[in-house]
Amino acid sequence: MSDLDRAIAQLRACRPIPESDVRELCHKAREILIEEGNVVTVNAPVTVICGDIHGQFHDLMELFRVGGDPPDTNYLFMGDFVDRGFYSLETFLLLLCLKVRYPDRMTLIRGNHESRQITTVYGFYDECYRKYGSANVWRYCCDVFDYLALGAIVLGASNTISPSAGESSIPTTPEGDEVEIEVCNAQGEVMSRFPRPNNGTNNDLQSRTNGIPPPSNTGPPGSGASGSSRGTVGNPAGAVLCVHGGLSPLIDKVDKIRLLDRKQEVPHEGAMCDLLWSDPDEIDGWGLSPRGAGFLFGADIVKVFNHRNDLSLIARAHQLVMEGFKEMFDASIVTVWSAPNYCYRCGNVAALLELSEDDSGLGVLARSNGDVNRSDGGGGGLGDSEPQPMKGPARRYRVFQAAPQDSRGMPAKKPVADYFL
Amino acid sequence: MMAHPVPHHTTDKKRVKVYELRNNDWFDRGTGFCTAQFVPVQENQPKEPRVIVESEDQPDRLLLETKIVKDDGFQKQQGAYPDCMDREQCGYGLELPGSRGLRHDMVGLISENSYRMRPLTTMSRKFIDGVQQTFHNVLGGADDSLSDDLPMDMSTSTFTLPPADLANLPDLENAMRQMSNTANGREVLVKSIMDHEILPTLGNLVEMAEDLESLDDLFRLCNMTKTMLLLNDTAIIDQAVSDECVLGVVGALEYDPDFPKHKANHRQWLSNQTRFKEVVKIEDDNIRRKIQQTFRLLYLKDVVLARILDDPTFSVLNSLIFFNQVDIINHIQTNGGFLNDLFSIFADPSAHHLRKKQAVTFLHDCCAIAKNLQPPARQNLYSNFLGHGLIRVINFGLCDHDVTVRVHATDILVAMIDHDPQMVRHTIYRQLQERQRPLTDAIIDLLLVEVDLGVKSQMQDALRILLDVPPIMPPDAREYPPNQQRPRQLQTTDPQQELLIQHFYETSAARLFKPLLELEGQTELKFQPMQEYIFGYLNDILCSFIRQHQYRAKYFLITHNLAQRFIQLLSCKQKHLQLVAIRFIKQLVLMSDEFYMKHIAEKQILGPILDVLLRAITRDNLLCSACLDLFVLINKENVKELIKHLVENYREKIMALSHMDTFREMVSRYDQTEGYTTNPEYFMDEDEETGPTAAQSERRPTRPAAGLMEEQLTVDQAQEEYWNSVSDEEDEGPQNGPHCTNGTTATLPLLKPLVEYGSDEEDGVAGDEAAAEEKKDGEPSSTKENGKRPVTPTKGGPAAAAAAAVVVTPPERISEKRRREEDEDDDAFDKLLHSKRRGSNASAASASADIRKKMGISGDGDSAADGVVTPAAVVGSANSAEEDDTSPTAAPDAAPAATTSSLSTPKKIAFNISAKVKSMLGGGKPLEPEPETTTSAEKDKETTTTDVTTAIGKENVRIGDRGEETTTKSAAVVEEGDDDPDAMKD
Repeated sequence: MSDLDRAIAQLRACRPIPESDVRELCHKAREILIEEGNVVTVNAPVTVICGDIHGQFHDLMELFRVGGDPPDTNYLFMGDFVDRGFYSLETFLLLLCLKVRYPDRMTLIRGNHESRQITTVYGFYDECYRKYGSANVWRYCCDVFDYLALGAIVLGASNTISPSAGESSIPTTPEGDEVEIEVCNAQGEVMSRFPRPNNGTNNDLQSRTNGIPPPSNTGPPGSGASGSSRGTVGNPAGAVLCVHGGLSPLIDKVDKIRLLDRKQEVPHEGAMCDLLWSDPDEIDGWGLSPRGAGFLFGADIVKVFNHRNDLSLIARAHQLVMEGFKEMFDASIVTVWSAPNYCYRCGNVAALLELSEDDSGLGVLARSNGDVNRSDGGGGGLGDSEPQPMKGPARRYRVFQAAPQDSRGMPAKKPVADYFL
Repeated sequence: MMAHPVPHHTTDKKRVKVYELRNNDWFDRGTGFCTAQFVPVQENQPKEPRVIVESEDQPDRLLLETKIVKDDGFQKQQGAYPDCMDREQCGYGLELPGSRGLRHDMVGLISENSYRMRPLTTMSRKFIDGVQQTFHNVLGGADDSLSDDLPMDMSTSTFTLPPADLANLPDLENAMRQMSNTANGREVLVKSIMDHEILPTLGNLVEMAEDLESLDDLFRLCNMTKTMLLLNDTAIIDQAVSDECVLGVVGALEYDPDFPKHKANHRQWLSNQTRFKEVVKIEDDNIRRKIQQTFRLLYLKDVVLARILDDPTFSVLNSLIFFNQVDIINHIQTNGGFLNDLFSIFADPSAHHLRKKQAVTFLHDCCAIAKNLQPPARQNLYSNFLGHGLIRVINFGLCDHDVTVRVHATDILVAMIDHDPQMVRHTIYRQLQERQRPLTDAIIDLLLVEVDLGVKSQMQDALRILLDVPPIMPPDAREYPPNQQRPRQLQTTDPQQELLIQHFYETSAARLFKPLLELEGQTELKFQPMQEYIFGYLNDILCSFIRQHQYRAKYFLITHNLAQRFIQLLSCKQKHLQLVAIRFIKQLVLMSDEFYMKHIAEKQILGPILDVLLRAITRDNLLCSACLDLFVLINKENVKELIKHLVENYREKIMALSHMDTFREMVSRYDQTEGYTTNPEYFMDEDEETGPTAAQSERRPTRPAAGLMEEQLTVDQAQEEYWNSVSDEEDEGPQNGPHCTNGTTATLPLLKPLVEYGSDEEDGVAGDEAAAEEKKDGEPSSTKENGKRPVTPTKGGPAAAAAAAVVVTPPERISEKRRREEDEDDDAFDKLLHSKRRGSNASAASASADIRKKMGISGDGDSAADGVVTPAAVVGSANSAEEDDTSPTAAPDAAPAATTSSLSTPKKIAFNISAKVKSMLGGGKPLEPEPETTTSAEKDKETTTTDVTTAIGKENVRIGDRGEETTTKSAAVVEEGDDDPDAMKD
């Protein structure tokens, strides 16, 4: 596949590839994406979850530098690759190339900007038109958008953080205290560590099971194998659901997402729209979203959803956070933002979320759709017990800044070549 | 910088957190109060401005003391913080590169409100502005040696700009920067810039600085130019893009201190005059200049200033561009000679191809610009163009071998269609009249052979829009006999459009769908990559036609057996083509049209899809999701015909999938009814109560359903209009809709099942629509009563059962009549209902509006039948329940028979119900959803009460307008009871 490698090299230099190559690429990408479910299952040997990129190509390069180069690191991008920045085209095409080249090491899910309507307004259409003189490339890309998965489930993330390469300027936490969150800078140096809160329930759980949660009567979280299978050991750290926006009132179980025919323009309402547009907020229950699409949802919603689906964490993007990441609702949901100095002027830092592989051997579970002949479709054992937040996976956030300005040309749009009017 | 906050004074203290960057790590130094002060450093030395943070806990301890130096780094980062930032608090990091020991450290100030990292909230942003403001004046000196000689609050209005030459640049730059910080200062600055003619001198200054290779000066010039342009003043920007200034301005901007190692080549780009192409010479110098200026403005906006542009400047640039474009377009379209010259290029066989190509591009640019214009101006332009022969140009362009020409011609066409499809349709109509080849045919040809996918997809869009059935135009109504006289024509269309569509189906449709039709008989499907795309487009087109063209599309579909052709695609290897097939079938199901359902069942369409699902189910891929989506839809919409078909024919396959709710439900639905029905609504009542999905779907918000209805909105409106005109005086309304359409109103027996329309095509259309309409309600009206029929009492044997069932209807009619006469009586309910009604948003006013209004229903988009017929249904069920105290048997053979039964019984029971309803409503108790009684045996006993109560209960849990509907039903029932005192005594 030397063509593909050549295209990757060219795109890495931030030079667009010819239109015919784009068509070819999109064609191939479609074949791959069509095989993916609406919710892709990703196993977590060092999975890096990234938020919005928004066409900031040079910052994507910085992201790869901080997170590790693509085939070596397993990447999951939570949408919004395009618009706003000046290099949406190169950004998306590079990601797509990498997806085609390393399908199992790259996961792309759809963001609200991966839509015809939004891209015509926020720059991607314009950019394609400028760079190719016609909107064809935009159309090819939009066709691919329709095939992108709507979410992903990360399985097998570890409870314990893997040793980090960087030097720590912070004294390590006392023995026995498990590190739950570690924040690193772009050089991989640990900036801060947060031990797991030792509240009663967690302790209890831990002592009782010696680190392994009791077998629940569910299969792999979110894999659909819920119900009366009994005996499958759940995911030690719970699964992580990655979605661009958030939850939907129409989706009470992850499996419901699988029933959507996603190959369409992002609709104005309904489950698919909500997944891409909703935001968590400090409210109770559901609220109207000021964005005009999707909903706001409160902590209670997240907790019930996580409990019902055996999730420990929801990772999402969609909102600018100045710190690059922001955990909410007792760390049941996190916003990850990966576009530093958003729009070249917001002054924010970016982050990526790293989940390490569970080495207990329990974490790796085969993806299963073998939920055949289950008598009870998983009414979900809710209601009998207070939803208890599951112990989240250990999370390492790598915070990084915008690529140094000299590493890139001046960000600008491509001017029109000839003009008649 | 878009905001210019009021300067804060140094006395302001802000509580801040101080972080220090050590080894790239932000280290918390503590919380304290921040001030900016002048601090004497040494005797006899001028004081120095410093930022000082005193610790909160230990006031003596200084957390931070840093000198403020004249350094860009101290400026807050350029640019405004857009409000669009996802509701996140916008803040920014402030970096203070210290001058001494702190050289490489960065110090962030952070307010209490945020945490961990260093961003500033808007609170502290003001403060920083204050600090900056305070020191700007002081920092005005030529270098870092600061003096406090300058007054702190110097009024900028007393400032004048030093003359613009290289020696003065530092002063000039500082003066500008200071002044631009206040509103007053900006005004003065704008004036002085214009007075001093600084912009025209920029060119010289840049050249001089370049000659001297003085990078500092060039940076200063760049900063100054940015400041001037971002003053956001129309006059300055106008001058900046004028011929004499523009090169100087962009020249200065080539040396951006933010990118010290880069130099842009704006001047080279802009000075290249050959970029401006004149196909036909524009004589007017003024317009020529405007065109060039617009180009420069666009260049400024998109390239030079793209990174630093704030919203006000952006809009100033945009409005300048807009007004220029208005002038240009106006000039072009009023200039007949110019247009003649332009269009004659295409008539001239000797004209060089390049020239034609450029002319197309010119027109393309015109149309692209026209998109921004006001509709009337656009209309003028297009009419002018069309008058001069734009269609010929498009035809030329579409057939050209050069792909860019085709792309441009397509764009022109699409722009025109976007603007006003009717205009283009008229043009095509004229073509047809003149026996020319219509544009649609050209589009079809191109769609089939085009290799450029962009053009292809645009052609597809264009074709779809052109063949749409536009909403009925009021002027056309005049030419038509009123609807009443032509009741069959539900969709009144423009006669021109009618002709167009007719022409299409007669001559072009088969050609358009040829790739699909050619599949017939092929067993192994192999396509060229280019061929594959056409199916997706054909699917989109056909789906749209099915929605729009009613019987023509139906006929076409049947004669060519298109559904089966699509199903053939399921056997090909390409998954996206399989998806196309599934989507097409989904569209058919979405139509909720008896006709299509029958077709699907008859042609065994769902079997292959089931096979695909069974193959894909283990893969969890898009194909699997699409199939599931389809079956979930069938189940959710409870399409009886298809469920029956599926279970009867593919029971094993369905059972294999029964681990999923959807399929399990399908089987159980079928088993409950034992397949005794071809009527989709037949057992609706039972299912409303029993089916697990009913319960589930009730819980769901109504949004998806709304989405579904949207699909049919257009049809619906036409229908409503039709009913308004026809059945206003008819109480029964749409219940006998099909008969109405035949003109024999209200005389046919009501019991005739809705679905047994004749096979007459027109009738079929009308009837199907009525059925579809009812189905949409989710709460079927007339058929409810049918649904009850089989569950009739055993007491008198089948005959009695039949009689009882038959009785059901007449009371209904009477009841309505009475209701109309006596609807003033029901004050309590009326009030209740009216108060409800006020709260609701009445959307589409619908048929039999008078009745509905009296009943206090707002037209919430239901079929007209709703409020009218349901009471009868309730009565009907009441009837059967009353007479049936023993266990009922299903008597599906209950045939319509004599209508002789007494009317009193139903009324009596009706009252019973109403009493119950009244107690529920009037008791002031919020209506709770009743626990759902599910088994069918139980249900029949309790038909009366559960019918009403669960209906109310359920519907009240749902969104408002549904609840309202329910209330109306009960109201109707109550009225009926009220008017019969005897019954009340009973």
